[in-house]
Amino acid sequence: MSAPTVHVAGVGLWMQRYPSAAAWAARAPEASEEPLKPKGEAFDRVNRRRASQMGRAIGDAVCEAMAHASVEPRTTPVIVGSSIGEASAMIGLLDQMWRSDEPMSPAVFTVSVHNAASGLLSISMKNKGYTTSIAADYDTPAATLLEGIGLLATGHEAVCCVCADEDSPRSLLEHAPNWDMLAGAVVLTRSRTGGALADLTVEGIGDGDLDTAGVDDAFGHNPQIGMIDLIDAAQRGATGALRLDRGKGRGYLAKLRS
Amino acid sequence: MAPLLVTGYSMLSALGTGRQQHLDALAAGRSGLGAHPIELDFETAAGAVRQALPELPAELQPWSTRLARMAYALLQELDEPLRRARETWRPDRIAVLLGTSTAGAETTEVAYKQFVDQGSFPRDYDFQRQHTFGAVLSIVRQLAGVDGPSWMASTACTSSGKTFATAQRLIAAGAIDAAIVGGLDTLCTMTLTGFHALQALDSAPCRPFREDRNGISIGEGGAFALVERAGDARVAIEGIGETSDAYHISAPHPEGSGAQAAMREALERAGRAPEDVHHVNAHGTGTRLNDTAEANAIQCVLGTEVPTVSTKAYTGHTLGAAAAIEMAFAACAIEEGWIPPAIGDGDIDPKIEVKIPTQKTSGTFERVLSNSFAFGGNNVSLLVARA
Repeated sequence: MSAPTVHVAGVGLWMQRYPSAAAWAARAPEASEEPLKPKGEAFDRVNRRRASQMGRAIGDAVCEAMAHASVEPRTTPVIVGSSIGEASAMIGLLDQMWRSDEPMSPAVFTVSVHNAASGLLSISMKNKGYTTSIAADYDTPAATLLEGIGLLATGHEAVCCVCADEDSPRSLLEHAPNWDMLAGAVVLTRSRTGGALADLTVEGIGDGDLDTAGVDDAFGHNPQIGMIDLIDAAQRGATGALRLDRGKGRGYLAKLRS
Repeated sequence: MAPLLVTGYSMLSALGTGRQQHLDALAAGRSGLGAHPIELDFETAAGAVRQALPELPAELQPWSTRLARMAYALLQELDEPLRRARETWRPDRIAVLLGTSTAGAETTEVAYKQFVDQGSFPRDYDFQRQHTFGAVLSIVRQLAGVDGPSWMASTACTSSGKTFATAQRLIAAGAIDAAIVGGLDTLCTMTLTGFHALQALDSAPCRPFREDRNGISIGEGGAFALVERAGDARVAIEGIGETSDAYHISAPHPEGSGAQAAMREALERAGRAPEDVHHVNAHGTGTRLNDTAEANAIQCVLGTEVPTVSTKAYTGHTLGAAAAIEMAFAACAIEEGWIPPAIGDGDIDPKIEVKIPTQKTSGTFERVLSNSFAFGGNNVSLLVARA
């Protein structure tokens, strides 16, 4: 594959104990007794209520990355990658159908779609341009970056690629490793800016030579961990090839040069 | 960007399998809407695929779902152009970019019902091979003999429309040479119940743009297209518009402002004027708000004289598959020189001023605009043209 080189201009993330890329870079975990919840400040009041916890984490990561890169939320395309999307909303609907006599909630149904977060973000950010939601299991981070690179190669100056999966649906994944929620976002630009963290090329299947982020297994099994690995490598100023799937997908590589 | 060359396409819906069965139904004004196999406690017509679907090869049985078997049927119809593409391009330069709204929800809801009733999932149920968006991608790559980048777009009812735009960009960027694009979706209880909860389902077959229209009929099926950097194409996608309403998660902007912007962007990217459009395949779901908003948008962008038909009265609203199926219908109109009649009971809504032909119309259709709009305020317009 010969995708054009682009530039990492901003990063954002949300993980339990590390609710921002800045906290992750400083290895400064939140000292909270209670589990953290994403703030969802990207959303207006009405849509924050509609957004799932994953949607709010996506919003937090996107806001941080866009602010870091100094790009305009009203016009910057957002690509949301997620392997299972709003699975907990789907399970809630299944419970309503099969366990209770309650009628299905139309409000929950409308936000059970895979593009709920991208739609709510576009409304809250008043972005009338491009947005999408995609999925490719453990290859979702690579796919999200490639979708962004396609946009940059054909006219856009900057795009925001965000990958997130909520806590794994434990009832449906009885015999597979489970994971905890995370979200990671990068702003990619066509031209190199002064504050760019790294040059980035996504390449075909191969072996990486860069270290992955040191996270708990609970995050390591999340299909979107490759985006956290990319953010971590960019923050460290690493140069080399990074597998975007921790060996669980098809093996797409991010080549970084700081 | 160069036009996206469509070198082959396949389709599957309540009207049948393959191009000829669809042409026969469209020419005859014969709807596929009617009874469906899903047990519900309310009345609704649906566009169920009644024909038998092929079984996956034995080694792929763990991935076998209704969605995967639909994908296999669509690939079988695309066999000849795919063979040529594999001879022309390296397998890792042929992408698989598909769209779906439900993915494997139909399989999971059956499995989950057993879990609720009996305390355990069916022995052969596998969430990762049968439910996730990525499961079908793996099947399509293996069955098609291609190995390029692959992902699912899932933006509800615009999903498969987005895949054409992605392929056009990736070809322009030099990342791929060809792609299998399109999408597919299956009927499931959750979707039908959800649209019923929104009071968006008609109990009778849907009647887009009719005065007494009363909602959607859901359908199932899919369409795949082979798109290539170069090749023997009869149709091409000249321009694509992708916009957001930024208005409401499930209701359209009343004036269809996002829809207007999508149509204008498709024309602008193609370098075409409104008078270059000879037919609109409307999103036309049959709900009061959607049809009014879309008709307003079409009138604002194209005027009132472009014949506009919603083929959802034939297939039902196939959700994530709709944009691809309707792209194929647009291609048929260009190739065959006729457009199907707008069918459905009742009179055309007198408040809708765009032209809705109720008879099969013959003529030269060089360019067709195909609209798709979705939850999240997501809009896609494809300008399909003779290559």
